[in-house]
Amino acid sequence: MPSTKAAMPACEPVVEIKVAASSDELMMCYALRAAVFMGEQHCPYFEEFDGNDYTGTHILMLVDGEPAGWMRVRWFHSFCKLERAVILKPYRSAGRFIDLLHFSKDLARRKGYTKAYGHVQLRNFPIFERDGFRRVDDRVFHFSDHEYYSIVCDLEPVAAPPAIDLPPLVLNRPEGRLDEPGILELSQARAPTNPHLPHVERRAH
Amino acid sequence: MGTNATIHVEEGPVATKVAMTMEESLQAFAVCAACFIGEQDIPYSEEFDGHDFGATHILALVGSEPVGAVRLRWFQSFAMPERISVVQRHRGRGIARQLLEQCRQLAERRGCRMLYTQAPPRDVAAWERLGWRRLDTAADEDDRGYVALARPVDPAATPEAVPTPELLTLRPEPWLDRPARPGRTEVN
Repeated sequence: MPSTKAAMPACEPVVEIKVAASSDELMMCYALRAAVFMGEQHCPYFEEFDGNDYTGTHILMLVDGEPAGWMRVRWFHSFCKLERAVILKPYRSAGRFIDLLHFSKDLARRKGYTKAYGHVQLRNFPIFERDGFRRVDDRVFHFSDHEYYSIVCDLEPVAAPPAIDLPPLVLNRPEGRLDEPGILELSQARAPTNPHLPHVERRAH
Repeated sequence: MGTNATIHVEEGPVATKVAMTMEESLQAFAVCAACFIGEQDIPYSEEFDGHDFGATHILALVGSEPVGAVRLRWFQSFAMPERISVVQRHRGRGIARQLLEQCRQLAERRGCRMLYTQAPPRDVAAWERLGWRRLDTAADEDDRGYVALARPVDPAATPEAVPTPELLTLRPEPWLDRPARPGRTEVN
């Protein structure tokens, strides 16, 4: 009897990259980092969870719905800082990493950033160099047992970056989906009843 | 110039504590993820299986550094320690034993009389050295290759004193008619 498997079409895994936007998705990000940095690289907990997790944006990669990759982006005034990319071992490939990197760079561009900065382990520099990064200077520094270069990459400016004269609700949209109406635009279907007002008046008297 | 950085020490004796805050829960999850997802390639969806918010998590700390964790689930007739994990550089110093003793003491204070777990066959000898015995049930080396083990909470009781638990209760709690996820250990 012929194998039924042979007749099956080849199924490419479904890869989704998104800004982590719920507690569940943040938990997935934390688990990925613990798996790779604590589990594989023996990084102490407090060096991985360094206090900056609630000041940055977490980028999550899902492969067939399973958490597979993560990167953190922090937002400074004139540049963004791309940090700590991981691709979980069963999913690891340079291509997946580049996909994650490009998502992060594109998110930064759409927020108006024109410069992405990062620290790269010496062994990984060629991957970033092929993607347009260059060394900031000649310094080599180390932390958490690894040696690093500072690198920077120019991002192509977008035609209409977010600005304060845009329709205000555009700036309320979820990061990563700035082109789609957000839930607060949908809330405009309700009239503005300013529901706290009576309470404030009672207190005033 | 001084530094304001918090220095986290990773030396000294091992302490255990029940995770009581979001941060401590996250520390327990991180140790678990490091050992099972990082080292054993367990998928996230199997590791974080829906039971984590209905269980007690116990942390092992060296200084302020989280180095071990165990999840303790509570049933009417027994308590179930599972997912015992110790980070690699701290293995071999009895941390799993310490975590299990903490489980036993918590169970004792609740009036619970039996501890139950499931372990892969390679770990059974280690569990038996800690006073656990294999249960002679149909689940003894079940179709996932796991072995059911139990021990009395009372350290003076013989291992034979424990009754056989109802297996149905080991399945995911909202879906008792579906198969259970396997239990695991990573302690060496």
